[in-house]
Amino acid sequence: MSEYIGTGEILLLSVTRFWPTWLAIAITLAVCWPLRERLGVFGRLYGSMIGMCGLIIVLFWVFTAIFADAIAVIGPLEQSFAAGMKKGTPGVTDPQSGIIFLWGGDNLARDVFSRVVHGSRIVLIVAPAATLIAYMVGATLGLPAGYLQGWSDSISSFLANLILAFPIILLFYLLVTPEVRTPHPVDLGLFTIPWSIPIGLAAVFFLFPIIFICTMWFTKYENNQAKLISYLGVTLVIGFWAYSALVFNSDPFGVLAMEPNMLNVFAAVILGSSPGVFRIVRGLTMDIKTRDYVAAAQTRGERPWYIMLWEILPNARGPLIVDFCLRIGYTTILLGTLGFFGLGLQPESADWGSMINHGRPFVRLANTAHLALFPALALMSLVLGLNLLADGLREESMKD
Amino acid sequence: MTEPILEIDDLNISFYTRKGEIPAVMDFSMKVLPGETMGLVGESGCGKSTVSLGIMRYLGNNGHIKSGKIKFMGRDMAELSDDELRDIRGSKISMVYQEPMASLNPAMKVGKQLSEVLTVHEGISEQDAMKRAAEMMGAVRLPDPDRILGAYPHQLSGGQQQRVVISMALLSKPALLLLDEPTTALDVTVEAGIVDLIRDLAKEFGTSMVFVSHNLGLILETCDRITVMYSGEAVEEGDIKTVFNKMRHPYTKGLLRSIPVPGADKYSRPLVAIPGQLPLPHERPVGCNFGPRCDHYVEAVCNKGLVHMTDLGNRHRSRCERIGEIDWDAEEVAGEIDEPIVVGDVVVSVNHLKKHYSISTGMFGGGDTRTVKANEDLTFEAREAETVAIVGESGCGKSTFAKVLMGLETATDGTVTLGNLDIAHLPVEKRGPKTVSQVQMVFQNPFDTLNPSMTIGNQIMRVLEIFQIGDNDAARRDRMLELLDLVKLPREFATRMPRQLSGGQKQRIGIARAFAGHPKLVVADEPVSALDVSVQAAVTRLLTDIQREHRTTMLFISHDLGVVRYLADRVVVMYLGRIMEQGTTEAIFSPPYHPYTEALLSAVPVADTRVKKRHVVLEGEIPSPLTPLPGCPFQTRCQYVIKGTCDSVVPPFKDMGDGHVIACHLSEDILNAMLPVIELEAAPAAE
Repeated sequence: MSEYIGTGEILLLSVTRFWPTWLAIAITLAVCWPLRERLGVFGRLYGSMIGMCGLIIVLFWVFTAIFADAIAVIGPLEQSFAAGMKKGTPGVTDPQSGIIFLWGGDNLARDVFSRVVHGSRIVLIVAPAATLIAYMVGATLGLPAGYLQGWSDSISSFLANLILAFPIILLFYLLVTPEVRTPHPVDLGLFTIPWSIPIGLAAVFFLFPIIFICTMWFTKYENNQAKLISYLGVTLVIGFWAYSALVFNSDPFGVLAMEPNMLNVFAAVILGSSPGVFRIVRGLTMDIKTRDYVAAAQTRGERPWYIMLWEILPNARGPLIVDFCLRIGYTTILLGTLGFFGLGLQPESADWGSMINHGRPFVRLANTAHLALFPALALMSLVLGLNLLADGLREESMKD
Repeated sequence: MTEPILEIDDLNISFYTRKGEIPAVMDFSMKVLPGETMGLVGESGCGKSTVSLGIMRYLGNNGHIKSGKIKFMGRDMAELSDDELRDIRGSKISMVYQEPMASLNPAMKVGKQLSEVLTVHEGISEQDAMKRAAEMMGAVRLPDPDRILGAYPHQLSGGQQQRVVISMALLSKPALLLLDEPTTALDVTVEAGIVDLIRDLAKEFGTSMVFVSHNLGLILETCDRITVMYSGEAVEEGDIKTVFNKMRHPYTKGLLRSIPVPGADKYSRPLVAIPGQLPLPHERPVGCNFGPRCDHYVEAVCNKGLVHMTDLGNRHRSRCERIGEIDWDAEEVAGEIDEPIVVGDVVVSVNHLKKHYSISTGMFGGGDTRTVKANEDLTFEAREAETVAIVGESGCGKSTFAKVLMGLETATDGTVTLGNLDIAHLPVEKRGPKTVSQVQMVFQNPFDTLNPSMTIGNQIMRVLEIFQIGDNDAARRDRMLELLDLVKLPREFATRMPRQLSGGQKQRIGIARAFAGHPKLVVADEPVSALDVSVQAAVTRLLTDIQREHRTTMLFISHDLGVVRYLADRVVVMYLGRIMEQGTTEAIFSPPYHPYTEALLSAVPVADTRVKKRHVVLEGEIPSPLTPLPGCPFQTRCQYVIKGTCDSVVPPFKDMGDGHVIACHLSEDILNAMLPVIELEAAPAAE
């Protein structure tokens, strides 16, 4: 029979196993303390209890993701073949290897603790990256909608409302239907690319960061040919290399690649959150464009895109940073939802949503509830941390 | 001596912020007798509003009364419980704030809000309260009380809203009325009506008042006594006449010297700016707060320690260590007097300029289309190195005109000729850098004029880059540093962010930006009205110096006739999109007047006790430009209105000689027979 450790030991080990995380948090906070005057609103977080709690929770998961290999005891897919390890309750010890399954084992006798820790990597890469791209899409469409108004506003607002009004889960289901998601090779003459609706969506969405950054360089260095060409060149080369690798999985160097499932998740999440970003950017733009410095830029004959990207956007950053934190939280939940419905990554993936989904049939019994409980707690704490951080930032940016 | 209504003794109020304790009011004492109006004057951040909020004991979460006593009708406010305080607020002490729209509940009808005061404080029935409210409407001279009482606040104009707020404050017959900048958000002619009302109400109801304002002229016209505040302290207190004529504090003297008075222009008596700027609350100097900016500063006397108020008798007190040593009657050291500018050729000529906006009321562009005539038939010209002022109240079309000049809007009809180019129909994107750099603008709000997330240097460099000045970054950097020198700011400012600058410094950067490309024409839209009085003079001076040096034409848009008289060579008076009168400054400020100019001149408060003003108060408000009137736009408020003519025929331009043009139906005889509005009394014998 397997051996078990007591509750007290479980709690103690749950804390101590994260020692690289705790150390990194302590170092970060200590290093930033003398610099807090120069860190703007982030430095002021030191004065806010709530913001500090949020920051520590978020940093906890960030560093856990970074040091996942050091924290996790075994790999996320490794199974134990000893008896009694399947659905073993928290604290069960593998009699063969002597490894303690701190948060129990799942139905395939994998270590829940290690899976949760490794799962944080997936969540913390996908959620911020998808949110960032959603931001670029939302900003690139929201700025002209708010600044120029007129027909561009009507069209993009209509599209945003359309997406917001459509039941998003149904949309996700449609996106992952095998007929829809299976790529067909399309011959473009010079080369062949895989094509499907999710790939098409991703192809559109992933184009926005390139357009966004190129427009930024163009408007800023329009009168400075040398700088303009070098900046644009670098952006275009790196941009399209990453673009071909991530969207069409055809990196000529074979360095960068993205799983097709991951691409689906990206497309779905960006589609789901960019209308919200669009709205907030549009609203802020309409507010800021009435300022005198915008009028000053207009009277010196600046291009509208310069005004949008360099006069308006930087000055909307306060509310946008707060919204960004909140939105990573939403995206995390959305990822969880996708995983929960089995729409996300491969079934064996350790992302938290999939783990909750796997644990779902076992929640009925108290001694197998841990399969879903621990990933759910992880998801909850990360989203809570992001929300607290956003609250703290908002509170501190309003004070003066 | 009668018992004072309000007695403040050694009041100290501090705010607690992230930076620690910030004293907002220090060692403040004041007495208000029954029926007396006390003016509290000072620049932003001097603590005048904090005092008025402190009287109400309403300082928010981080404000705290550290020490001192506030006695209201013999009772110490500190000993009152929250219930008792709530009882007093709104019934015994009421307050009128700056923004009338923000003081009224937008979701409640005016009548309901007014009667609430009485039902809550006096417990009378709703109907009786309504009756009292209707009576009060008459007292604040609001016509048609029933309509107003049944209206929501947004259905009233700004002036009407403020009258409602004042009537609300007076409903329960308070013993003390606190007015915190009650007219700052209003137009001058509307302000004049409110000021008139406040003065009469004070007499009629015998209410004591504390009138907080930054406008010395307004205080002079409304108050019996004045307390001048500087950087958290009262520096001088006394009867209004005493303080204005026999001031015993260098700050009061400096303040009065830095605002333009009638009869002075930039050639005969240039303004003398107070050097330096207000100290930040946590950087106040030791000893006298005004010390570092004072002409009479003496080391080891003024910075020795706390300076106390000295009693000069006759309820006149001053906070100066050297009262006895300074020669207060010394001949005022006039500022540098410049040679009058010789104006050159015509640079800009505006011909029959029209700007109409169509507003459709229906959906999808259908429905009725109404035309707003923002500018109608503007004709005038401006010469090289000349300053032309465009004067008018909100809605007169001066901002639209500026937009047309800048190319942000294009004209409906007419021309604006700059050099040989008609720019009226040329939007800014089609002008090319050369033309764009020749027409530039200085904006009104210094806190809004600079991009908060870009360094000062980069902002100026960007302008130079757009105007294609300088061949490379190094040349532009040099030019940028020169521009900083030009506006008398240290070169280190190039790397600063706008939030590190004071309002006056930001406005200097705004000026540097406008003059970056050697413009022919600079449009200055109220460039100093948002600045503190003591800083205004310096910025005005800088602007005119640069203009003189570069021989730039300046269009100075303003509603402040004091500054206009001081600064402008010629004046254009606008009302509802039309030019009412134009001519040289001399001609505009003396008869014959257009009836609107006459009222405008009378409305502007003047901070000089020697000035006698003829009283012309306009009834009503500026009509909405959405419903254009046939004939003269001023017909609804004009006291000379000729029935049958003014309401049907657009008034002709009458040439009164020397370029002085008046658009009016009145005959030249009547116009010529007008009496001057502003007259200077003979100077007192002492001077």
